[in-house]
Amino acid sequence: MQNVSPATLLVLVPLLPLAGAVLTLLLGRRLKSQAHLPAIAGIAAAAAVAVVLLLGTATQVGRPDGVHAEPVRPVEMISTLWQWATVEAAYAPPAGSAAAIPGTAVGGGTAGAARAFTIPVALRLDPLTATLLTIITCIGLVVAVYSIGYMHHDPGYPRFFAVFSLFVFSMSMLVAASNFLIVYVFWEAVGACSYLLIGFWFTKPEAARAAKKAFLVNRVGDFGLAIATFLLWMTYGTLDFHDTLSADGTILPGILGQTRLADPGGIVGGAIGTAICLCLLLAACGKSAQLPLHVWLPDAMEGPTPASALIHAATMVTAGIYLVARSAPLFMACPDALTAVSIVGATTALVAALIATVQNDLKRVLAYSTISQLGYMFASLGTGTLLGFTAAIFHLVTHAFFKALLFLGAGSVMHSMGNVIDMRRFGGLRRIMPVTAATFLVGAVALAGVAPFSGFFSKDEILASLHAKGWPDAHGEHHDAAPSSHAKRGRSSFSPVHFAPGATTAGEKELRPLFNTPETFRVLFWMALVTAGLTAFYTFRAVFMTFTGPTRVPDEAGHHAHESPPVMAVPLMILAVPSAVAGWWLFSTQWLSHFLSATPSFTAPSVAATAAPHAFHMDLAIQGSLAAAIGIVIAAIGHLGRRSDGPQMERFLGPLQTLFANRFYIDQLYAGLIVRPLEGLAVVAALFDRYVIDGLVNSVAHLPLALGGLVRRLQGGLLQRYALAGVMGVLTIVLALAWRLRG
Amino acid sequence: MNPLLAAASTALLHNALIVGAMLFALGLVGILTRRNLIVMFLCAELMLQGISVSLVAWSRHHGDFGGQVLVIFVLTVAACEAAVALVFVLQAFARTGRLDAAAWQGLREATLARTVDHALPASDASPPQWPRLSTAGVLPPGADHDSLEREHV
Repeated sequence: MQNVSPATLLVLVPLLPLAGAVLTLLLGRRLKSQAHLPAIAGIAAAAAVAVVLLLGTATQVGRPDGVHAEPVRPVEMISTLWQWATVEAAYAPPAGSAAAIPGTAVGGGTAGAARAFTIPVALRLDPLTATLLTIITCIGLVVAVYSIGYMHHDPGYPRFFAVFSLFVFSMSMLVAASNFLIVYVFWEAVGACSYLLIGFWFTKPEAARAAKKAFLVNRVGDFGLAIATFLLWMTYGTLDFHDTLSADGTILPGILGQTRLADPGGIVGGAIGTAICLCLLLAACGKSAQLPLHVWLPDAMEGPTPASALIHAATMVTAGIYLVARSAPLFMACPDALTAVSIVGATTALVAALIATVQNDLKRVLAYSTISQLGYMFASLGTGTLLGFTAAIFHLVTHAFFKALLFLGAGSVMHSMGNVIDMRRFGGLRRIMPVTAATFLVGAVALAGVAPFSGFFSKDEILASLHAKGWPDAHGEHHDAAPSSHAKRGRSSFSPVHFAPGATTAGEKELRPLFNTPETFRVLFWMALVTAGLTAFYTFRAVFMTFTGPTRVPDEAGHHAHESPPVMAVPLMILAVPSAVAGWWLFSTQWLSHFLSATPSFTAPSVAATAAPHAFHMDLAIQGSLAAAIGIVIAAIGHLGRRSDGPQMERFLGPLQTLFANRFYIDQLYAGLIVRPLEGLAVVAALFDRYVIDGLVNSVAHLPLALGGLVRRLQGGLLQRYALAGVMGVLTIVLALAWRLRG
Repeated sequence: MNPLLAAASTALLHNALIVGAMLFALGLVGILTRRNLIVMFLCAELMLQGISVSLVAWSRHHGDFGGQVLVIFVLTVAACEAAVALVFVLQAFARTGRLDAAAWQGLREATLARTVDHALPASDASPPQWPRLSTAGVLPPGADHDSLEREHV
């Protein structure tokens, strides 16, 4: 390892899956049933490299000291591969302001000078990237192995693995890119891979429609990212995350570079900053399926289950979380945008959980659960504290494990039940599929947040981060941090990073944030707590309906309703281990939160100032566990040991059940407001095309036809006419000659 | 050449040219107005002969036999042409029983209607009645009676 530089290793992580994808594409037809080999080899090698990088980065960060006495040193490594584009003097700062680009004064002497527009293809390695790379490649590997069994006999076998591998490449690049434009490129690339996998069975109309829907809804979010990128360029004059050294030796500060982060006035707040952050939030809402752009994810379940597990549960949908976490310093300067993240997240969490309670399709339950859990992560990010950011990533990690496990378990059930996924049509499967049942149960308790399993700890941290914002006095850690961050702030136009009672009494005439108040976070906390109970309910409702009660198997399953083969069962068991213990280990050692706090974005003073000593809040743990217990008990009363096609719990809900089952009528709303008018417009456009455009083109073709019609009458077929024409012709020539020779 | 002879020569030329022009004009009018294929063919020959007369006249006027040589050629070619054309005409008649040029409009544009100046006489569906002569001499051996009474030429 000594003679291989980390930069080389970092490039290998995306490169190996790309090579696997290309090889699978080229050789897929020849390899036939062995088409998974290049893809799995590539992803496995990438996973090994990613783990090496993670351990290497962890060594650099060092061990947690336990008391957070001194700020953590930022750890990052940039590897610029090549310059993609360079436009000289593309950015000229507005006249009259030397320091038009914030942070330039600190960064070097180029203030006021025109800047080149450069797009370096640069990869970065920092704790956040290393964590996500490891998750993407490791879970990708497990899911790919599972797919060998699941996709067996599918005619599109090579295509699946090619796109799968391509997705791992794109996602690795997305989290490793160090430039907003490159992020945008791979943001689109993962969307394209998602489209290809949702529509994998493209001859099925529902799948084709779902793929189209996912793509179109994501376009709305992508639009937000594009606008955010434009605004960032106009505001900062660069799109790089990192600082770059210019030719004359001065440092050009990147948007999230250490130079700018060290400068108290480096990040633009106010209206423009809020606009940037809200556009980023829109992008995150699209990719991470948050309200109001969540509608594509439940439909995305039309894709193969392994793709749902990796892309639509574990990795791609967390791209929004990554984007917001990466842009944490930008959000910290805009408290209202930050609170908007929390509000969107908590609302989504609650709404999706309510919808999940009445779904009868096992994969749909998990899809809404994913939306709900992503909402949790957003709620946590929006608190704007170091605890909130690390808790969101913590939950991302544990969620990736247990949700991938649950999806693969659902896929195993589906595989065995002859592609039937409606929970009312089967039951008592624990006798038929003991391994799937046991591992699914592990995933379920982790998702429900039952005590020693991983979901409990990450959810507890999220609740703690919300609680700390809602009841700052009870925690008390912000009192000393807030005024010091105020003192460091150089620009008076900046809003306070977070609201703290002690801060605004200092007599400063600062813009008070509209929503960033403890009251807001108290509401959000209670929403999150209710969601925790609902999560436990719908998860165990699914478990009880599927695995308990009298054993029933749908007709489609035929005689081969059996436990899945080892190639599918072993990945389930592998994923069950981290689902069970990862949370406890990462929480008790505080390894992940300490590791992540060395991410440059989280070492920004505005974020680092919110660091709180690690504590286990027994009261919150009890509240969370109580909510989970209530949910499980209600699910047990309604479904444990009963026939899954019998009377359902939701008959007690009355009209609410209709509301939930129709998904709050959001799809119908979109259909009425957007889809139908657009379809009408499309019909008008089609008619215009057919009759006006085509009419013009056809009239060009009709012109020679009409001219031909004029002379066509000469071709009468009558001999005398031809003779007359000949005579006239001769006569004309004779007369012409006579005229010429007349004298 | 003395003036009298010259005047007579010129007069002869004029007369010959007038005759040639009349022949040509008659032929032209005939070919444009008649519908009987054989008559049209004769008219074409008439035009040809009109030209031939002119050629002979000019030949004599100039004392140059080239024109007369050309006429001999024309006659030869006209004879060949007449042989070929008559075969076509006869075959056409054998197929349809008609010699009317207006009946042969098959080369017109598909969208155009048949030109009818005078309505075509209804095609006589019954085979034409040929004069029946009593057999002269002895029947050839092996030939039955019917083959001698075929309907068409």
